[in-house]
Amino acid sequence: MKKYILILAAFFTAGISGCKKDYLSLETNPNTPSVTTPQLTLAAALSGTANNVAGLYNYYGVWAGYWTTSGNYVPNSTINQFQFTPTSFQGDWTSWYLNLTNYNNLQVLASKDPTQANYQAIAMVMKAYGFEYLVDQYNDVPYSQAFQPSTIVFPAYDKGVDIYHDLGKQLDAAIALMGKAGAVVPGSDDIVYHGDMAAWAAFANTLKLKLAIRVSSKTAGDELVTDIASTAGAGYIDGAANPEAVVNPGYSNQTGKQNPFYAIYGFDPTGNPVFGNVYYRANTFSVKMLNDNNDPRVSQLYQPLGNGTVGSNAFGDPGVQSNPFTSSIGPGLLQSAGQGTPLMSAAESLFLQAEAANRSLGGFSPANAQALYEAGITASFEDLGLTAAQATTYYSQGLANVGWATSADKEQAIITQKWIALNGYFNFEGYNEYRRTGFPALPSSLDPAAISPTLPTRIPYPQSELTTNAGNLSKEGTLNYFSSKIFWAQ
Amino acid sequence: MKKLLLVSLCFLMLCVTQVFAQNRTVTGTVTAKDDGLPIPGATVKVKGTTNATVTNSAGKFSISVPGGASLVFSFVGYETTTVAVGSQSTINVSLTTSASQLGEVVITSALGIKHQKSELGYAAATITPKELTQTNVTNVAQGLTGKVAGLGIYTLSNGIDPQITINLRGNRSLEGNNTALIVLDGVPIPGATIGSINPSDIADVTILKGAGAAALYGSQASNGAILITTKRGTTDGKPIIMYENSFQAEKVAFWPKLQNGYGQYGGEGSLVVIDPNSATLVSSFPSIPATDPLTGAPVYIPYENQLYGPPFDGSIVPVGYPLDGIKNYDPFPGYPVVNTTGRQVTAKYSALSTNPIQSFFKTGLTEQNTVSYQQGDSKNSFYMSAQNVYKTDIVEGDKATKDAFSVRGHRTYGIFSIDYSAAYTKQNVSTYLPNNNDLGVPGSFVTNAGANDLYSSVLQWPAFLDIKNYRDSNSDIGNASNFYDAYAINPYWILQHTRDNYSRDVMLSQVKLQLDPTDWLTASYQVSSNFGIYQERITKDEVDFTQYAISDPFQAGATGSGFSATGKGLGSVYDVYQYGDGTSANGVGGDGYNRVEGDAVLNFHHTFFKDFKTSLIVGNTIFQNYLKNQFTGSNQLAIPGLYNLNYIGGLVQANEGEYRVRQIAYFGDLDISYKSWATLEATFRNEQDSRLSKAQRSFNYPSVKVSLVPTEMIPALKDNKVLSYWQIRGEVSQVGNINVGPYHINNIFVVAPGFPYGSLFGVNQNTQNYSSSLKPELTKEFEVGTEIGLFNGRLDINYSYYQQRDKNQTLPINISASTGYTSSLVNIGETQSSGHEIQVTGQILTQAQNHFGFSLGVNFSKNEGKVISLIPGTNKLSLGANEYAEVGKPFPLLEGTDFIRDPQGHVVVDANTGYPTRNNTSLTVFGRTTPEYTLGITPTFTYKFVSLEALFEYRGGYVVNNGLGGTMTFAGSSALTAEAGRQVFVYPNSVVQTAPGVYTKNTNVNVQNGNYGFWQSSAYSGTMSPFVTSGAFWKLREIDLAFKLDQFVKNSKFIKGATFALTGRNLFIWTPKSNIWTDPEFSDVGATSNVRGNNDANLLPGTRIFGADLKLTF
Repeated sequence: MKKYILILAAFFTAGISGCKKDYLSLETNPNTPSVTTPQLTLAAALSGTANNVAGLYNYYGVWAGYWTTSGNYVPNSTINQFQFTPTSFQGDWTSWYLNLTNYNNLQVLASKDPTQANYQAIAMVMKAYGFEYLVDQYNDVPYSQAFQPSTIVFPAYDKGVDIYHDLGKQLDAAIALMGKAGAVVPGSDDIVYHGDMAAWAAFANTLKLKLAIRVSSKTAGDELVTDIASTAGAGYIDGAANPEAVVNPGYSNQTGKQNPFYAIYGFDPTGNPVFGNVYYRANTFSVKMLNDNNDPRVSQLYQPLGNGTVGSNAFGDPGVQSNPFTSSIGPGLLQSAGQGTPLMSAAESLFLQAEAANRSLGGFSPANAQALYEAGITASFEDLGLTAAQATTYYSQGLANVGWATSADKEQAIITQKWIALNGYFNFEGYNEYRRTGFPALPSSLDPAAISPTLPTRIPYPQSELTTNAGNLSKEGTLNYFSSKIFWAQ
Repeated sequence: MKKLLLVSLCFLMLCVTQVFAQNRTVTGTVTAKDDGLPIPGATVKVKGTTNATVTNSAGKFSISVPGGASLVFSFVGYETTTVAVGSQSTINVSLTTSASQLGEVVITSALGIKHQKSELGYAAATITPKELTQTNVTNVAQGLTGKVAGLGIYTLSNGIDPQITINLRGNRSLEGNNTALIVLDGVPIPGATIGSINPSDIADVTILKGAGAAALYGSQASNGAILITTKRGTTDGKPIIMYENSFQAEKVAFWPKLQNGYGQYGGEGSLVVIDPNSATLVSSFPSIPATDPLTGAPVYIPYENQLYGPPFDGSIVPVGYPLDGIKNYDPFPGYPVVNTTGRQVTAKYSALSTNPIQSFFKTGLTEQNTVSYQQGDSKNSFYMSAQNVYKTDIVEGDKATKDAFSVRGHRTYGIFSIDYSAAYTKQNVSTYLPNNNDLGVPGSFVTNAGANDLYSSVLQWPAFLDIKNYRDSNSDIGNASNFYDAYAINPYWILQHTRDNYSRDVMLSQVKLQLDPTDWLTASYQVSSNFGIYQERITKDEVDFTQYAISDPFQAGATGSGFSATGKGLGSVYDVYQYGDGTSANGVGGDGYNRVEGDAVLNFHHTFFKDFKTSLIVGNTIFQNYLKNQFTGSNQLAIPGLYNLNYIGGLVQANEGEYRVRQIAYFGDLDISYKSWATLEATFRNEQDSRLSKAQRSFNYPSVKVSLVPTEMIPALKDNKVLSYWQIRGEVSQVGNINVGPYHINNIFVVAPGFPYGSLFGVNQNTQNYSSSLKPELTKEFEVGTEIGLFNGRLDINYSYYQQRDKNQTLPINISASTGYTSSLVNIGETQSSGHEIQVTGQILTQAQNHFGFSLGVNFSKNEGKVISLIPGTNKLSLGANEYAEVGKPFPLLEGTDFIRDPQGHVVVDANTGYPTRNNTSLTVFGRTTPEYTLGITPTFTYKFVSLEALFEYRGGYVVNNGLGGTMTFAGSSALTAEAGRQVFVYPNSVVQTAPGVYTKNTNVNVQNGNYGFWQSSAYSGTMSPFVTSGAFWKLREIDLAFKLDQFVKNSKFIKGATFALTGRNLFIWTPKSNIWTDPEFSDVGATSNVRGNNDANLLPGTRIFGADLKLTF
């Protein structure tokens, strides 16, 4: 009997003790890291911002008069008829917050180490950049309670105007943090300025100017406007000393590695047009304005047809033409799969400065307005692959809203030219400027099924907020997408 | 030891005494009537005496009887038979199975322990191999369908390799695993490998319906368990060789209702027109409108993919472009025009006798050959089998093969015994790409073509055009450049040029060593290793468009025009290698893993004070699950037809993952029976699991079960003629369900899209927030039940009521993106489900008494589930694919868009257009998507050597979203779109708003356009409610007409038995009139999801199967 018990005991202990003490400790994930570094986060976050800016705003491209939807497809009820469904614009909201949380992580991570001040500052600038997009899109959004998942699952909404004011302060603080002695200077992971902190400061300052100008049309004496001068020393993007803010991690003509604008509106790596290229066609409103003003940019912004002309459709036209008769997005915008993604162009910055000068805001002098205006046009020409000489020829014409002297309303001329310069990469900005100033007078949809005779003044909050944060969202009340406005809009 | 000696001595004495009393010896064999196999261990007793013996392993007995005596033959589960000896010296008896001794049926319970049914405190059901395989299913799970109350087998798709899920008692977990644990010969196996088991290897299937029944298996078995016992060989010394051949045909049984009257038009404004006879250009852009300017009636468009054209009129119409024409630029500058030198295909514009959508599908065939050999005696036994299955499908080119081999056996050496089994199965499947998005690599050609799956393309086919003419996808009309439909690809091209070939190699093996040192102790140690390798290659061929096709002759925005740069849609290849359970499941739902397990068990059993039969089991289980997968692919193949990653442009896309789960568990089971009428069983399990953090890792799962048999307990009830058996049972248990995947307790950072760029790397925060405080879900269950046998067991009623509460649900709840995450994995929320299960079997006529036998089985279950709570602050949670969990309501709940309605529920239409408006601000609740009621009815008729068995199954009380409806409404192929003859009509039961809040019945506002305008362009097509129908159905699930030919072959020395059967599966389906779409059982959301009731054109139409089967025993 003893023998059996011994054998049994051996069996049993073999079963139980056949493993090590830490047998169950499998916390380490072999597939993905649980920590990150400022470098890894910065590069990924900047690339993500570029994807958002380049990829999200096709519908504004149509509303802003740049593009139309292809006649080869069934009319687009969301874009052409304004029949928004609860999920129509879902991605815009989510993409930005998921991008911004990485900057927030970077800011938190870098603020713990003084030598990482430059990373902290860049994170703050980029957070301001992204939150401005969110406010311009949705007005009130979660800001002060955002990014605290362990304590706040239902972040409350902050007023758009309050967010703007705080972003101004954040940009001031960021500029102050930049370029300190002893701080680590970002390298190749800074896929915008490669560690040029002076350029970052100018970008931050231009961003601040943009916030100020946007509120200025409605509230001329806003604290943002009066504060412009305080950081004037940081300079503004001008395409020369202070280069444009352009993201380029090393885009190439490979699947998944193309410039995002090129990948969405251009061509696949084998050179065939992708859906966005087939679907978004030239808009008659824009084409007519360019042609009327002998603007050579028309053939850069839109791909001419076989006969050399640019074909287009009017927005929502029921007699829409099919693709062979309309132009796709042009070669000036789709230069190569390796081109950078601009976050802010020199042209946009120069027109911002021109407006500030024309209106004598924040220490800008009206005397410089014409030069800034013309420099803006030149920068736009150059960005599209044209020359400064062509720009000069163009703005020297005695046409309203082209030549400075022949433009009765300087503001209208600046915004109109800015609108042309924003075509393509910054469709959303073009629409924002229209909503702020009313220039140019954009046509609404001709589609008889359109549910509003006028263009939308804003888009709905995403369905995801309705299902995940309904309590806070309900405090925003009922919105009318054709009359509810972003706080700075006219 | 002394005691033992004494007992033996007594026995010896007894025998000696009998020797003196005997007159003569009678020998014989006891066999079972239903299968003819010998019954070892049957009791043979001289009536009125204590003189008895038992049959040996060959069913043989030898007993001494006095003259004039009768012998009583009895065995558990069989009718007791009395035979007068008379002058016979050989008595062969065949026993018929009995329902009268219901309580004595032996059930295999958890850990493979055998119990009498009367001892169980919970519901358990057994399925015999015959019931399982009567319609020659290739997957064991399908053979269980409809046979057990509370067991839901969901065949989510058909096609060459159907997806099946197994569920017991409805859903408990909102988002986690709800599928039953599969236990093979005492050891859990990866659930998906059930399909690799050769159905004819199975000796017995036991279904433990509740969590309590399976509590010994702990967290894995919170959804109940299915115990499969395989054959181990015979015990009578004689070899048995079985050969079985079955042949089955499969045909589409359920077509969506199709229109047969209209050709192509798709909302064109104006177009280029070619004269079909002269093949010359009639007109070019923009002068020809595509609609009649006066009536607005559409003009026939030869290249469209939507069927909203004019009614068939018998004329000859052009089909597609002129083939291989030449294009130039003339006469309108800038406007391309066709110079049609090519041949124009034409066809008669009238409906074909069979709709081409139907003629696209063919008959699928399945042939199965199975051979088995078994032999053995009471000590050693051996079983081996081989099976081959060859199957073709209802679409051309799809086929599957399965080869299964197994070796099993048992050996005894004194007190030591060994039990082993090894089964290897290889399955090869070749199918078209069900959904080209599955390619995993962007830029799919077929996706560009506008129709990204096969059935969608087929559903766009006009009723006048013979689809068979396009069967060669390389022919002049079938190739991609010349195909008539400008926006779709030839469906035969999809079949012939996109392939998904995969194989599963599955190895299930185990060895069990056992010691029986004394009569009160058994010790065993079992090691099992179950693993599989999954290999998949998805390929898509290159398409080279002609310059003519690229030039898009009709300016239609045709597919070819998307390839203007190179003319080529490059080929793709995508490979999957996965080591795990042999499936492609990625480990998220608990499936996909291999499994190595060791179980040590000590079983103490003793009977105290004569009446207390006691057993105590203590044991330990350690297992490891492991899964590793690699994916590689490219959509830029350099050489057409060469699917090799060495020959590509661009970069290889690659991806890999590795997952490991470990668990250590200790368990105990104390079982005490008093006499034959009271049993108390208590179980306990502690387990520690690597998926949870250290602080949360250890969990305890107790259960208590009680069973009473009043017919044994109360003397007054004994030997009652009416009430022959009555059992009452009850059970309370608590088990866990770990729905946390491995490595889900620490937040992670994932590779950012596009990275790496050269040497530059970048990571983003993951979009799901993890937490180290995650716990298992906790299921508390109680169950009560009773079984009543009436009229000597000819009527058996078995009833259970259960209630389960599942709290600490592991939910990836969606959270506002403004938190930085879109979802967060938390333990929150509680669900409750309860249900009734009734199983009734009645032997209405017995064959023995009436020559004609008729029995009827009915099983019914009702499951009610509801959500008790969710995350605080919300009462609704999205489960994906239009389904939700809502507090106080059953789940999953289908919700979707509906039209704006008046307070009485009438659709409000626009006073001018007559069109309804979609309600975009709130979703309408349509109902639950899992059946609330299921009913199975199994009549069996026997007459002489013929038997007819059928299984009717009903499921009801749920809704389905027919995504197919949207596809067909887009295509214009649904009969629904032609119901009003494509003319204007008044939207049925609609109202018009005449003043705010005032609605009047709409009698005269017609829809503005009864054709394309309404069906395609109005809010109708994008709204869900028109396509939601009841999911109820009746199916004739199985039918089996068997001829037992034993008596005709009995003179053959060679053949011992033969059975021929005609079988059918899903021969008929009956659905409510509103369901004009498809088989409501199907759902296109994967088997690992709890979401059901969503179908679309990814799923082929439902089929029926019929065939014949020959079984020979040698």
